[in-house]
Amino acid sequence: MAIRKFAVLGALALAGVSLFGLSAKAEDVTISVWSLDRDIQPAPNLVKDFNKLNNGIKVEYRQIQFDDVVSEAMRAYSTGQAPDIIAVDNPEHALFSSRGAFLDLTDMISKSTVVKPENYFPGPLKSVMWDGKYYGVPKATNTIALYYNKDMFKAKGLDPNKPPKTWDELVEDARKLTDPAKNVYGLAFSAKANEEGTFQFLPWAQMGGGGYENINADGAVKALETWKTIMDEKLASPDSLTRGQWDSTGTFNSGNAAMAISGPWELDRMMKEAKFDWGVTLLPVPKEGAERSSAMGDFNWAIFASSKHPDEAFKVLEFFASQDDKMFKNYGQLPARSDITIPATGEALKDDALKVFIEQLKYAKPRGPHPQWPKISKAIQDAIQAALTGQMSPKDALDQAADKIKAVLG
Amino acid sequence: MKRILSSVRDGRGFDIALVAFPLIFLFVMAGLPLIYNVVMSFQEVDMFSLGTFSRPFVGFKNYTDLFALPETWPILRNTAIFVIGSIAGQFLIGFGLALFFWVNFPGASWLRGLFLVSWVMPGLVVGAIWNWILSGDFGVLNFILKESGIISGNIFWRSDPHYSLYAVIIANVWLGTAFNMILLSVGLSSIPGDLYEAAELDGANAWQRFWTITLPMMRSTIGAIVALGLIFTLQQFDLFAAITSGGPNNSSNVTQYWAWDLSFRQYDFAKGATISVIMIVFVMIASVVYVRSTRHEVRG
Repeated sequence: MAIRKFAVLGALALAGVSLFGLSAKAEDVTISVWSLDRDIQPAPNLVKDFNKLNNGIKVEYRQIQFDDVVSEAMRAYSTGQAPDIIAVDNPEHALFSSRGAFLDLTDMISKSTVVKPENYFPGPLKSVMWDGKYYGVPKATNTIALYYNKDMFKAKGLDPNKPPKTWDELVEDARKLTDPAKNVYGLAFSAKANEEGTFQFLPWAQMGGGGYENINADGAVKALETWKTIMDEKLASPDSLTRGQWDSTGTFNSGNAAMAISGPWELDRMMKEAKFDWGVTLLPVPKEGAERSSAMGDFNWAIFASSKHPDEAFKVLEFFASQDDKMFKNYGQLPARSDITIPATGEALKDDALKVFIEQLKYAKPRGPHPQWPKISKAIQDAIQAALTGQMSPKDALDQAADKIKAVLG
Repeated sequence: MKRILSSVRDGRGFDIALVAFPLIFLFVMAGLPLIYNVVMSFQEVDMFSLGTFSRPFVGFKNYTDLFALPETWPILRNTAIFVIGSIAGQFLIGFGLALFFWVNFPGASWLRGLFLVSWVMPGLVVGAIWNWILSGDFGVLNFILKESGIISGNIFWRSDPHYSLYAVIIANVWLGTAFNMILLSVGLSSIPGDLYEAAELDGANAWQRFWTITLPMMRSTIGAIVALGLIFTLQQFDLFAAITSGGPNNSSNVTQYWAWDLSFRQYDFAKGATISVIMIVFVMIASVVYVRSTRHEVRG
């Protein structure tokens, strides 16, 4: 008897809930969001916060894997099942916008009181643009700078407050800091044959006056020659050729490299692992006073052109953008905005580093934008690797890359 | 209708059905993708035309473009070295171990079981472990070689273009040896013992017994293992992804990794399909050789 009572109660409760759910669904517009963020990263939490507003728009979140973002999105789009909103890696943004897969947001942005182009860093903003129009909103951003071990600088008689400013100084300091007997390399960076290699090399080429359109400019050749000097003299581990940035920086944290080129995503790990005094400085330039540049990473938000509720989707993006000021505090990511001052965390090392990264972000340039970016990037990676393994001279390698890129650009 | 039913009852139709179902299954699951792959290699395919069938035909352009690339021949050569090196290593060590455990000392079957651990582990995990072992600065392998005085300076297994391919081969040999050993052990145990007794009575020494009894009796097992080894090494992908990513400068790149890179990293699906077709041709040649080599076999 008692059991039956409970069953009836349970059924009633279930019916109530589902009725409630149905009625909620009937009026709500559902917006689906795909991104690669895990539960401790922004997207799922922002979605949760948005759904709490109960403003007639319900957001559904789906996490996808980094390697699957493009192929999954492309498959979904071509079969008409694309989500309303997606986060894509910034060099891949142009691939979709150039083919009309992403919605042109120019008009919406011009009317918006939240998303204002002038508030964004120029680099991230450029990555969402195609043909002078806006096809997305930068989600977050990051860049690379030079980490250095102040204790090692002191031990080798270098001024710990004068990190290298130019390429020559960097090589010179690396020579002094390299100590094979102690298993210490002067520098750690990544020249891996994937996007990470391009990410690390392109700023050097750009500082030398090159770029993906003229990758064999004299300054870019000089940049690759500098890299080759570093590799040839074993100032950096030969494994830099096959190691990603995360593993390379790990050798810095464990005291096996005196300097490392890496990004702000390492700060939390470094605070925990690095048992020495360290600092961050801007990427060295070819010579005093030369133009600066830096890599620009992280993802962009975009709305698919196939979305049935573009206005509601844009409202969701506006909400995401309105939360940018909490990005660093809550998730350790840098907002792509120049109008936001990030409050101090109270940890001196981290706060000092943050200042450098914010400064460096002003010089960050996007990769591309070009719809064929992966092929361009591959040509650059091949050139880096051919030169560093000694199979081609830096000049020849970059000439070959320039030819390949020319063929892609048409 | 009645005729069909009766044919099922009298057994003839049933026989046909028995053959037809697997054939249809095979065609749908293996044949269609294969044909699709070949068709794709003659088309121009990119990200957005992947979902449709109406794509421009370009004839042999993908093939000619592919062979005009400077990296194509080195990668094909790497693939050949990888396949031959891996199969030879796996087979020789596997055969050695199988013969060793055949002696059947106390605990032999236990130990043999333990060897299977390497076969059970996922390729990516094996790759990650070998990635550390082969690391240039702090790798265990360099430490062992240095301490035993074989080398004086560190070898950068993953990053030196002279070693990178062999780094992956070493890892793959380790991965596949256990499987070879188990199959060869099964083959060995199926050889009747009285053959050896008779040979011993006739005065054949250990080497002669191995050469005239063990090897000929193992012929079909060995053929199967080499054929399987070819398939397994040609689909070996995880180790490349985990250890060298095909680098540096394509020195450890092989066709299967390259096909993936072209399709899913550069979104050139047509070229990826073209390489797959070339690989299919090689596998077919190898399987024809295998079938012919075991055709005259006496069974039972």
